[in-house]
Amino acid sequence: MEFPAALFPSYFGAGPPREEGGPAPVAGWGEHGQVLEGGPGRRQMQPTFVPRRGAMGERWEAADAAAVPVLLPSADCWIPSPAPQDILYRSGLCRKLRAGKSGATLDFTKQLGHFFVDHPEDAFGSLGRLLHKNFYLGNSKLKVTVSRNSTIRMTALVEDINRLEARRGCPRQHLASRLRWFSHLCRDWLFEVPLGLLAECLHEELMQQWSNLLFDDSLTGGALAWLPPEEGGTPVGRLVHPGGQAMNHLYFQDVVLEELPHTQGSPAQFELSGRVRQVAASRVDGQDFVGVRSDYHCGVWKVPGKRGAAPSPLQVIRTDVPASCLTVSPHLPGELSVCTQSGTVYLWSVETGLQQLRHDPQTMFFRDHSPWRWSDFTAHPRVLSCADRTGLQCLDARAPKKCHFDLFKVGEEAGCQQGERVVLPMYLGKAHPSQYLVTTQFSVYVLDERLPLVPVLKWAHMMKAPPLFAHLMPGKPGRSHKVLLGASRTQELLLLQYRGGSQSACQLAGTPQKLHSIAGCLQHLPTQLPHRHHLLQQRLTAPATGLAATLQEDGPHKSMWIFQLSEAGDVFCQRLTHKAAQPLPPPSRDEVTTAPVPSPAAAQRYRRWLRALSRACREPPRHTWRPSLSQRRLFTRRDLEGPAGPSSLQRQMRQWLRQTMEEGGRIQRWEPMALQPPPLPQTLELAGGLDPLSARLTAAWAGDWEQWWEERTSFSVAQRQRALRERRRRQKRAQGRRSLSASFTSSLTYQSELSELSDTGPPLLSPSHPPLLSQEGSPPAGSPPVHSPTTSAASAAPDEALLSSQSLRCRGIPKERRKTLRDYLSVWAEGPSEPPEPPGSQASQLCIPSSQSQLSSASQPCRKRPRMGF
Amino acid sequence: SSNEHKLNFKKSKEACLSYIQDALLQKQWKRAAEFLTCYVESLEKDYSREHIGPSEMIWRIGTEILRHHSQNSMKEFNCFMEQMKTLGVKRYLKVCLEHVFHLLCNGQIDEAYQNLSLAESWRFGEQTAIQDKEMKLIQAYRGLLDYYSWSKQKNILLEHGEDGFSDLAVEQEMHGYFRKAAVNLKEIIKIPGVWDIFVKCYVDLLEFYGDHNEAHQVLNEYAYNSKFPANPNAHVYLYQFLKRQGESKKSLISALKILHDIVPSHELMIDFNTMLQKSKKRKKRRLGLEVIFAALDYAGWKENAKAWSCLARQVKQIVISEKHLDWIKQEWNSRKDWWPAFHFSRYLAKRNWQENKSLSYEKALVAGILLGKDCKYFKYVSHQGCKAQLKRFRILKKFVNRHNPVCLRISG
Repeated sequence: MEFPAALFPSYFGAGPPREEGGPAPVAGWGEHGQVLEGGPGRRQMQPTFVPRRGAMGERWEAADAAAVPVLLPSADCWIPSPAPQDILYRSGLCRKLRAGKSGATLDFTKQLGHFFVDHPEDAFGSLGRLLHKNFYLGNSKLKVTVSRNSTIRMTALVEDINRLEARRGCPRQHLASRLRWFSHLCRDWLFEVPLGLLAECLHEELMQQWSNLLFDDSLTGGALAWLPPEEGGTPVGRLVHPGGQAMNHLYFQDVVLEELPHTQGSPAQFELSGRVRQVAASRVDGQDFVGVRSDYHCGVWKVPGKRGAAPSPLQVIRTDVPASCLTVSPHLPGELSVCTQSGTVYLWSVETGLQQLRHDPQTMFFRDHSPWRWSDFTAHPRVLSCADRTGLQCLDARAPKKCHFDLFKVGEEAGCQQGERVVLPMYLGKAHPSQYLVTTQFSVYVLDERLPLVPVLKWAHMMKAPPLFAHLMPGKPGRSHKVLLGASRTQELLLLQYRGGSQSACQLAGTPQKLHSIAGCLQHLPTQLPHRHHLLQQRLTAPATGLAATLQEDGPHKSMWIFQLSEAGDVFCQRLTHKAAQPLPPPSRDEVTTAPVPSPAAAQRYRRWLRALSRACREPPRHTWRPSLSQRRLFTRRDLEGPAGPSSLQRQMRQWLRQTMEEGGRIQRWEPMALQPPPLPQTLELAGGLDPLSARLTAAWAGDWEQWWEERTSFSVAQRQRALRERRRRQKRAQGRRSLSASFTSSLTYQSELSELSDTGPPLLSPSHPPLLSQEGSPPAGSPPVHSPTTSAASAAPDEALLSSQSLRCRGIPKERRKTLRDYLSVWAEGPSEPPEPPGSQASQLCIPSSQSQLSSASQPCRKRPRMGF
Repeated sequence: SSNEHKLNFKKSKEACLSYIQDALLQKQWKRAAEFLTCYVESLEKDYSREHIGPSEMIWRIGTEILRHHSQNSMKEFNCFMEQMKTLGVKRYLKVCLEHVFHLLCNGQIDEAYQNLSLAESWRFGEQTAIQDKEMKLIQAYRGLLDYYSWSKQKNILLEHGEDGFSDLAVEQEMHGYFRKAAVNLKEIIKIPGVWDIFVKCYVDLLEFYGDHNEAHQVLNEYAYNSKFPANPNAHVYLYQFLKRQGESKKSLISALKILHDIVPSHELMIDFNTMLQKSKKRKKRRLGLEVIFAALDYAGWKENAKAWSCLARQVKQIVISEKHLDWIKQEWNSRKDWWPAFHFSRYLAKRNWQENKSLSYEKALVAGILLGKDCKYFKYVSHQGCKAQLKRFRILKKFVNRHNPVCLRISG
């Protein structure tokens, strides 16, 4: 790849950024930046110049008035995440305070109050029960009774509290003395959890929620991916997106790209045990590799290039600290890079496992509190970039400690502003093998690895929220590369074009273009009832969580499809069409586009989507109807039929009634001689012995705790002696057998010896446990190769009792057979615990991880079905 | 109250700005222009102490609109720019510079030159650091334009010179341009930065007047001063200069060695490799092998047939002579865990064969030597080659089969 013969001029400084600044609404307009000699028509006596910014770009125009839904809303209703008004303190006083730049005030008391009301058991369980009799909540005066001395009337206290609520925000509010007295009295003992601790936890949680509301970086990268169709094939690609109420289902959905893209067939579906935060995909050697990140798990799927081929899960890893990044290598199949919030970067290969490249909880160039880390691939398959909020470094995976260089620094080198931070780095390899994109909250930068630290392109993007998502659509030679930037909270979408990098220096082409957001289609939807409109608005303005796009060229017709995913799980799509370059566009062209109307097909799509939405999100029936139960299914007709005639008792009673009426007498008491009261149920003795804790407490309550302890210790001594004796006997027997078992393969003895160990000593980690990234600090270089983390993250705990060697021995099964039996049983024992598979899912396919080390292959029978760990 | 009025004014200003922004982002230039005429009012009561004040906003937005609005004319644009220059003292130089850029991109070189001269003579109190930088840039661009004038005169003179006719006035003028250009260009390239175009022009001037020492020094400074960014072009210019000067192989190699150290994927690495391969010294040939292996590590070189043929040639030589097999072995050691998947997969064999036969030939040779005759890439390509009855593929197959024991020693 060539390097441009001359670059645009620029100053180069070092050190922290000098320029003061902040979000500037129009900073990206009106500048050429610099000029450079070049372009066509050179050497006609006069030099020609090209600008860094403001060169002509391609014209792309939206094909429709707004984005249209691609998928119908899922059946389960969406629960919006908390909004600022849910956790902020709202009062006139505080608004004034906030104006003084003191930041937001979180409504701590309200949240704590909610906790007390919603979880009274957890808040005051035991003491509440104890004091139940002593608190009187009625309105009438307390009667002079025996309980008078030990009961207090709480009504006044409650009134005081209500009054306090009403006066909230009043600057002259005084705490009622009664309230103060009461809280002074019981603050220390009334609460189940010590109040200080509870408050601390709540406060921490509130701060967390608030900072997530301000900027949620767990979404970085986006959870939507498009797997393009094979070149020259039919335009059927695959959309990979999360879904379900908790966003913990992963779908691979075939989508046909037509004017309005539509789904084809039912999607392949996988249930995961965590919210999907990021979906990253890359195509290597004609196969797509899809990486999926949730907070504590990362997984990788393989999608063969052939159309209709089922995606298959390859591996899962679990992390102790939330992962913040997962990228898929564009160079080598089955390679990914993972970062965790503890500052660790791993190169993850499906074949060889994890390799730790860096562990540093500190940020790279200056101190920043954010634990967010990112990593991506570079032009060299063995060199990875790793980023934090302060910049990017590239490290060689073969010698990460020694070989590294700085690629980008928030500082004077790149002409950054004060307070600027890296938001999303992305490798632009498909456009140019050595180019890199870095977005900050203010600007976007294009970097070239061959000239580190100096951005080859910089532009102030002017987006209202930081661009968390980016997507590259490489242009063919001579055409511009398109970069899409997407923000989460504001759903902004921006299309940029740039060109150059090899023969000529990098240039921004054309002006950036705003694309439709999901919320933009609200005005084109049929009119709704006000409350429906509100709900719809809430759904459509939900933060965006992903972005994907694709370019399709069909002769002269070029189209661009852009998919946007929202937090509610909706995927909307828009199409842009390429307009051939016109030297002078007709003057009033832009006025035509001001008030467009969606096409009939799009309008129909909206109606269908709305219908499905209202069906799915209809209010739960319990609000409208009482629960009713059909009897027909509970009882047969015969059951419901009464006896043919009145019973003898009824006859007797009727006769008696008639007789009394005739006599004009009265029945003082029915005296059904025949009716005997049913015998009282016998008080049940507790069947088994109490559990140790209950037994101990009972004993303590009754006052003979010491005796209980005596019994307990003597009992346990006896028990321990028995266990010891048992073990010795076993050891002897095992020694006798060792010569025999030695003739068996090592893998068999390994397994049984391991379970022997686990009988006696503390339970060892079973080898089939996934290797956790938990030991962040320990260097994995010295540790044995990582075993396959894929299969059965849960090592079938209930089976263990059944399969332990002790129980097998009790049944007289010789040691050599136990392994076989164990395998056999484990296959059966696992069956029912499998999650039910949805129809059309490929999850049931066998997935045999490529054999890792001897250790893991020995302990994992290959017959085991994969249980994707999350 | 006035306070409320102020607040309302601020609000409507912000609303207006967001409309403009929206229109600009949707390329509705006319609509944006209409809003901008309303926004101009905000200049009257400019209470803001924001990073970018209203006057700068108007300059930026106005420029953008005028650049794209279909009915714009250069005259209107110039008029707007002149107005903007008077709007803020702090921004005067920046607006001038941008105006010049616009003129340059529209081919109005003379107007641009006039503007640069005017801006250069501008004085207003003490200059800030940023203004100082902008002034230096203005001077540099003027120097650049002077250089182009010089170059024009030079061409005229050279043409006339061929006719055996020399014009003293033209020559005088040319020297005048040289002096003006040299003074300004010399200044800017002292400051750390990326000054490719200025350096090139300055060196051209110096070379023309035979000041090779100065030129060498300038290029050395540009390439090796640690305050400057690690710009590959700086090394390329130095290398090209040395080559023009007919410097020794040794100094050429040392210049390229440094380029190799900072950018192993630079396209000059092919030249470097050929240069090293021809060398008689073992060490140099060894370096050549390193260089070509390192270049092929990069994704951008994956399908570079020239590079593959360089590697194939050198590897073949080594295998035939059976000397220095350890060189290959050492290079291969750090790559054998990922090159097979990166370069020699079956998928790539198929694709390379379809798209570029000679590339697949070179790669198959390398694969056969490095991985043995059973490697997927070699097997596929040699099979296809033999099937297509291509002679050289048959020879390739024979060669690899004959040397398989040696190959196994490398991969083992």
